[in-house]
Amino acid sequence: MSSTVLKAHNVAAGGLLKRRLRPTAAWALAPAAAVLAAFWLLPLAHLIVLGGQQRDGAGSGYWQVLSSPQYLGSLAQTCVLAAVVTLAALLVGGITGVFLARQRFFGRTTLVALLTFPLAFPGVVVGFLVILLAGRQGLFAMLGLKLAGERWVFAYSLAGLFLGYLYFSIPRVILTIMAACESLDRSLEEAAHSLGAGHWRVVCDVIIPGLAPALVSCGAICFATSMGAFGTAFTLGTQLNVTPVAIYNVFTNYANFTVAAALSVVLGALTWAVLLLARRMVKQSRTVL
Amino acid sequence: MKRSSLFIAQLLFTLLVCAFMLVPVLMSLVAGLTRNYFQGVSSGLTFDWIAQVWQAYSPTVWLSLQLAVACAVCVCVIGVPAAYALVRMNNRFSRAFEELMVLPVAMPGLASALALLLTYGQFGSFRSSWLFILVGHVLFTLPFLVRPVMAVMQRQHLPTLEEAAASLGAGPLRRFFSVVVPNCRAGILAGVLMVVTLSLGEFNLTWMLHTPMTKTLPVGLADSYASARLEVASAYTLIFLLMIVPLLVALQAISARLSRGEQR
Amino acid sequence: MIRFSKTLAALLLCGVASLTQAAETAICYNCPPEWADWGTQLKAIADSTGVQVPLDNKNSGQSLAQLVAEKAAPVADVVYYGVTFGLQAQKAGVVGTYKPKGWEQIPEGLKDPEGHWFAIHSGTLGIMVNVDALGGLPVPQSWADLLKPEYKGMVGYLDPSSAFVGYVSAVAINQAMGGTLDNFAPAIDYFQKLAKNAPIVPKQTAYARVLSGELPILVDYDFNAYRARYKDKANVAFVIPKEGSISVPYVMSLVANAPHQANAEKVLDFVLSEQGQALWAKAYLRPVRAMKMPADVAAQFLPDSDYARAGVVDYQHMADVQEAFSARYLSEVK
Repeated sequence: MSSTVLKAHNVAAGGLLKRRLRPTAAWALAPAAAVLAAFWLLPLAHLIVLGGQQRDGAGSGYWQVLSSPQYLGSLAQTCVLAAVVTLAALLVGGITGVFLARQRFFGRTTLVALLTFPLAFPGVVVGFLVILLAGRQGLFAMLGLKLAGERWVFAYSLAGLFLGYLYFSIPRVILTIMAACESLDRSLEEAAHSLGAGHWRVVCDVIIPGLAPALVSCGAICFATSMGAFGTAFTLGTQLNVTPVAIYNVFTNYANFTVAAALSVVLGALTWAVLLLARRMVKQSRTVL
Repeated sequence: MKRSSLFIAQLLFTLLVCAFMLVPVLMSLVAGLTRNYFQGVSSGLTFDWIAQVWQAYSPTVWLSLQLAVACAVCVCVIGVPAAYALVRMNNRFSRAFEELMVLPVAMPGLASALALLLTYGQFGSFRSSWLFILVGHVLFTLPFLVRPVMAVMQRQHLPTLEEAAASLGAGPLRRFFSVVVPNCRAGILAGVLMVVTLSLGEFNLTWMLHTPMTKTLPVGLADSYASARLEVASAYTLIFLLMIVPLLVALQAISARLSRGEQR
Repeated sequence: MIRFSKTLAALLLCGVASLTQAAETAICYNCPPEWADWGTQLKAIADSTGVQVPLDNKNSGQSLAQLVAEKAAPVADVVYYGVTFGLQAQKAGVVGTYKPKGWEQIPEGLKDPEGHWFAIHSGTLGIMVNVDALGGLPVPQSWADLLKPEYKGMVGYLDPSSAFVGYVSAVAINQAMGGTLDNFAPAIDYFQKLAKNAPIVPKQTAYARVLSGELPILVDYDFNAYRARYKDKANVAFVIPKEGSISVPYVMSLVANAPHQANAEKVLDFVLSEQGQALWAKAYLRPVRAMKMPADVAAQFLPDSDYARAGVVDYQHMADVQEAFSARYLSEVK
């Protein structure tokens, strides 16, 4: 009898506590909110206003960006490249991540460490690594000379840029997928196997849906990083005109800040829109992206 | 039999990915030790380039390490409470805040840096100090700590634990430090690993925020790739690797041990 | 908790300590170690005046952009850039006036009458070739040679829309092909033809890539080619194309509201002094003050008959049309 009274008391107290806990919890957000407001929102507002200004009577920055086929083409190119890189990274990283998370073999920990330290490389270094692989004197050029008599050089084209972006995206996906695999429910897979489902069926119907939140969240970060990446494209140069490079061009061409600001804001808005879309795709609202 | 052939296929695929990631790095390392890259390894191996780089660029190594540590500390102080708050609130406002947090990653570093310069550039001594770069790094790496920590907090069924502690009379601060934080150690450390890695390699923001007196390693690396010989730049990359690989391996080992401990 | 706050305090102190290290320094934007041998020049400045100037690797465009962004509280004291950027910086109001010692010896047209900028040396544009990396092909002798299919994938030039060298290349080619500063059609036409030859178009100096053989042919200055040949002992040849080329001065300015004005003036005095100018000559640049070049250095230059093919242009006009040309290049040359 006393236990039921205790239980009832706890339930009532629990409800009160829940109401009291939430305002306390909101206070914990204050430092982060302050930092973001002061060092991000305020400068962003500055940038948005700057993009709307006119320079030498050429129309506002936004007008120049949105009415120029060159800039719009660059935005489209950047978007498509980022999307393709994200899908490729998810595929490659997904397969590798699941494999590494599940199997145990000699040298596994070393392999994982080796696959993830490229995360630290700045974009410029990745650009030079791509040149080492696919430049005029790169590995593929030598291979091409031996096999086909002509050098296979693709470092300075979109293919080279794609390789570079893939290079720094794969480690991120592997890390996230490996962490997500820990919390996958193996019993579901075993149940599916015992019901007669083949390996690929299990992958499509059990594993991928189980990993879906992690895949989407990781894909979102990969997409955002690829949209904003500058160092790699800067190093590889040539005809690549992805938007971050276009921003740099405008910026250093007599300090044209209005168009640079407008381009940046439009790029940021575009990325944010895609991320929002990706978020909507995750149905479970309790799972955190 | 079918299972083992699948295993072999996946292993080969993984090894191929590994080769893609590592072969260029090895080539770069060899270039840093070669006397003359154009002639190749036949021209002899030497430590001269490394000595030359260390003489010219060693301050960048220390500054980068200092920034990475400071960034990790700041992001923990700001981010862990924020993650706790976002998990507990779990309403429209918290979701919007999460979106806001990711925006600095979505915008190119050049733009964020320009915005920071225009808004805070007039505070001369702040702008010329390494603290200005720190601000940029914290903004950029914050979501990379908050997200893993949030994920861990959700897995650990914190509400139950917290209510137990609260019913025993613990105040909110005590609950946070003695219940919440210890249970999320693995997640926090995983986030710190990511933050340190990203800070060490951060280039886009730092490039505009730095001054010639506060040059970080990635900026110095970009400089040397642009204006010095390939051997010098490759030697610099070698030093960079020598700096980060032990750090990352150590952090990963600690994180793995902690997460194993949590699963028990 | 206490240990943590102690660490934080220590870190903050370090931050404050680093602020007080500003003794006897001057900040230069665009003083890269290898270009024009600024490394030696800065060492000489430190030895002779006691002012430490750290190296900085921006290019002309980045320097100007950074100066404009930092207008409210400048970080730099002096800046080194191509002449057109000097003119633009004057227009943007980010540079102050200063006439260093030796001012009268700078020829007219190579300095701003009020002292906003002044030339310290000049270089001539041409074709820098890594002969060994050509794989037996003949060294190109003219702009037209670069269009030949046998050099496919081997030719490089800096981006005219972001690097000063790139813009100078465009102006030089334009002039050589019969265009004027008001008519860039020959240059655009040339670049479109060159685009079919798979050129590499870096955004910053690609000196390292020429030496490593990645970029066997680069449109660049004579002093870079001589440095590669005589200092770095690479088999590099320099050619002033048959159709002609141009010489351009590089200038320096005192930044407006410079944080270390006195040190900045000492630096500017030194680069124009006899000692400073002699160092430029040793680095294979033509000093702006008329002086006898050391015989051994002069012998390493190409003969004067070759240099007769290099002319000059109206730098003010060149500056005025730069932005329009960049926009045109970006939209028409794919």
